[in-house]
Amino acid sequence: MMCNGADLDLAPVFDALDIGIVVLDASGGIHAWNDWMTRATGHSRETVLGKNLYEIFADLRNTRLPAAVRDALQVGSSSILTHSLNKLLPLRCPDGQNLLHNIVVRPMPSGRSAHCLLQVTDVTVSVARERILRDRQNARYHAIVDSAPDTIITTSLDRTVQWTNGAAEQVFGYRASELLGQPIDILLNAGTDLSCVFASNTVENSGGSLQTVGLRKGGEPAHFDVSFARWRADERIFVTTIWRDVTERMAADVALRESEARYRALCEALPQLVWTCDPDGTCDYFNPQWQTYTGVPAAEHLGFGWLEVIHSSDREDLQPAWNSALRNGHSFDVDARMRRADGCYRWFNLRAIPVRSSAGKIARWFGTATDITEHIEARDSLRRSNEELEARVAQRTREREVVLGQLHESQKMEIIGQLTGGVAHDFNNLLAVILGSLALLKKTFPNDPRTSRLLEGALQAGERGATLTKRLLAFARRQELKLEAVEVQKLIPDMMDFLRQSIGPSVSIMVDIRPDVQPIKIDANQLELAIMNLAVNARDAMPNGGTLTIACRNETADFSSKPPSALPPGEYVRLSVVDTGEGMSEATRAKAMEPFFTTKGVGKGTGLGLSMVQGLTAQSGGAIDISSQLGKGTAVTLWLPRARHEDRVYVPSEQTAPSAEMANKGLRILLVDDDPLVSMNTTELLMDLGHSVVEAPSASRALEMLESTDEFGVVITDYAMPNMNGLDLAIEIRRIKPDLPIVLATGYADLPPDAAPEFPRLGKPYTQQQLAEAVETALNAPPRGAPAHARRVVAQATPEVN
Amino acid sequence: MSIDSIDDVTELSAIERDALAEIANIGAGRAAANLRQMIGQEVLLSVPGVGIVSRRAASELVERDGVSKLVSVQQSFEGPFAGRALLIFPESQSLELVQSMLGDARPEDVTELQQEALAETGNVILNGCLATIANVLRKTMRMSLPAVFRGDGVTLFEAGRENGNLVLLLYIDFAIRNRDIGGFIALLMDPPSILALKKIVRDLIDGIRRDPACNDV
Repeated sequence: MMCNGADLDLAPVFDALDIGIVVLDASGGIHAWNDWMTRATGHSRETVLGKNLYEIFADLRNTRLPAAVRDALQVGSSSILTHSLNKLLPLRCPDGQNLLHNIVVRPMPSGRSAHCLLQVTDVTVSVARERILRDRQNARYHAIVDSAPDTIITTSLDRTVQWTNGAAEQVFGYRASELLGQPIDILLNAGTDLSCVFASNTVENSGGSLQTVGLRKGGEPAHFDVSFARWRADERIFVTTIWRDVTERMAADVALRESEARYRALCEALPQLVWTCDPDGTCDYFNPQWQTYTGVPAAEHLGFGWLEVIHSSDREDLQPAWNSALRNGHSFDVDARMRRADGCYRWFNLRAIPVRSSAGKIARWFGTATDITEHIEARDSLRRSNEELEARVAQRTREREVVLGQLHESQKMEIIGQLTGGVAHDFNNLLAVILGSLALLKKTFPNDPRTSRLLEGALQAGERGATLTKRLLAFARRQELKLEAVEVQKLIPDMMDFLRQSIGPSVSIMVDIRPDVQPIKIDANQLELAIMNLAVNARDAMPNGGTLTIACRNETADFSSKPPSALPPGEYVRLSVVDTGEGMSEATRAKAMEPFFTTKGVGKGTGLGLSMVQGLTAQSGGAIDISSQLGKGTAVTLWLPRARHEDRVYVPSEQTAPSAEMANKGLRILLVDDDPLVSMNTTELLMDLGHSVVEAPSASRALEMLESTDEFGVVITDYAMPNMNGLDLAIEIRRIKPDLPIVLATGYADLPPDAAPEFPRLGKPYTQQQLAEAVETALNAPPRGAPAHARRVVAQATPEVN
Repeated sequence: MSIDSIDDVTELSAIERDALAEIANIGAGRAAANLRQMIGQEVLLSVPGVGIVSRRAASELVERDGVSKLVSVQQSFEGPFAGRALLIFPESQSLELVQSMLGDARPEDVTELQQEALAETGNVILNGCLATIANVLRKTMRMSLPAVFRGDGVTLFEAGRENGNLVLLLYIDFAIRNRDIGGFIALLMDPPSILALKKIVRDLIDGIRRDPACNDV
């Protein structure tokens, strides 16, 4: 301090200073004490001058001040004693607050006297300002970091925890005091490493983040996102780490991933085709089944490409429904055909439901397609089978009606047949009597022309009556049939001349007989008669001429050949007589076979022709089928059973009339007949032939007579008799008198044609000559036991054209 | 004070070197004692190094282990010779050092107080060293108040460059046991002071030679 002491009193300056000034000597004696010191210490200059500083402030002895003063005085050193390292004077601010101060000790510049200068500097304000600033900054800082949910930890570079925020306790469970001074590694799961955080001792580019597994106080591991930064303060490097606990988020992520994985697995495991769309219908997922079924990579179906596999006809229905579902958010449910990888289409039920977000908006669409082809087929099949069932019921009903009609018809015919047969049988007997009687009368009046003419007329009428009864019996299937194997291909050519004569020149005849036609089992004469009847009917249907076709071929009655319904399956010969005439209405056709039904004028037909054909066919084990269309003609087809091999035996013709001379005279004949008229007439005929006759009215009576005498040369017995019929009688007679010749007279086929062939038969009504021949045959019969079929005697009927 | 023309400012004789090392050792020992008193930890000292070196060589010497960021507390001194006393340590250790001084003070207080505390700490150490040297040489010196500088070695030794490139460097490594703190205590003098110091040392040596009782100092 340079000044001129003479001009200026420095004392006021000294007291005006804003620092404390004290001058000490080497022992600590006070030589100067300015006003600032008085204010700060409360000790006035007067009370301290000359006193020892260390006596006034005893605590100063324990400070570095005495040494500093000594050094200043001895070696001239200057010292500073700061409030930071020293507890110095008990100074007070004017407001009574503790006054923070530093003391600088300097040797006095004079150098001559051993004094040193103490300068006491007030640093309260600057320290306080720094503290306020720091506190304010800290308050802001703590407001942020202490309220942070994340754990914030500051460590030194050696990993020692220097500071933590409040969240550390909540997250890790350690109180701050438990962490401070500890290595941060106690918060790390074994094996995790934060070395990259601490690797560098620079702060450049030192920030970063990482994921790590931490360890809570209880030992529970937890996941953290850690961000870190190194920073420098006063040449020390610190690392601040911010730990965000992501354990729950990771658990949620894992749960979400698992849920998504489950969902995806479900989609991919479903047998259905599964697809998803975003809210505007753009498809973004197809499961593997979809791709397998369609054979198209999913990428090609994304968006709206999938519509391509929908059958074009179904697309018209599907697309509007899908658009409507998208627009209105209701579920989508449509059946459509989808193309499979191999190009064929199958029916699918396509369904989709909207999945809504929590806000209620549609987030996406979840859809399935289920193969319902089998459903649909089953449904269609059920419908079809129902329809079929109904159709079959209807058909069966119709068939039943037809069968019932046929049954009815056949019952009707049967009754008519029985009636007719019965009438014809009795009528035959009457005719036999009439004819027999007339024949005898004619012998009685051989030369009277008038009587002779009358008798001849009566005989002719009687014979026509006999023919009529034969037809009735044929219709009633009670005629006597001589069944044999007949070759149609021989039979028909033999009768062609007769046919042409009967039919006339206006109708041409075509014969179409396959050469391989098998023989049929039938009565040949009756068959000729039947063909004649049919040909005449055909002629009558073609008054203006036409073509008559007679066709014949083998046929098997089975489903394909459509035989008449009543015919049992088997091998047949089909004989057709077809005309090109006017045909028949359905009503006419239905009644055509009834006896006495005729479309011909009164007196032109008997109405028995077709009836006879039908009867013959049925009796021979065949069937008849008539098809006709008005204006187109009529075809009558006979299904006739083929002859079995054993039927094809040669039948010698014995129909040649035996000579009258053959008749033995004077035989004693036992005549058995329950009808007295017939019996009487036959007796007359036999007696006329020169025989003697004993009549027996019943079989039992005849047996009695035979027992009582051996005088009979021949027995003639009627077949149809009450109690014991003629066949039984003949068998009994054969038993008791094996050598007695027997003739069996039958009126109709009560007797099966093949039964008891050993007995010669006499068809009723018979002429005297027939009677004589029958007796002759019986007498000439070979010894007993010889083949019997050679001895049949059957009355022949001539075919009659009606 | 006269300058001996045959004296060389670029070299020290062996005896000068030993004498200066001994003086530095005594000063550093006092400084270390002061430091130990302040922090309650033993302070280890190396054998002092003495040499006339270039400023660059001096800066390289203190930038030990490549640590170029340094803190120094400096005090200048005047008297028969003039120069600077420096307490040098790595900047990264400054807080640690202050922490040691302040005992269990909170880190943020340490930060706030470190500038003052560093200055006072350096002041104590350097005063101890310089006062001891002054005592040994029986000279009086004036010493400035301490100032804290930060910078690399070149910056530390830049002041006084106008007096030439060579400096006399007395330096001692110190380390505080149980703390990761270590540094240098250095005395730096310009060529004019070197010559003055050499004369003083020579006088001192001569004095000692005349006084056999002090032979073992």
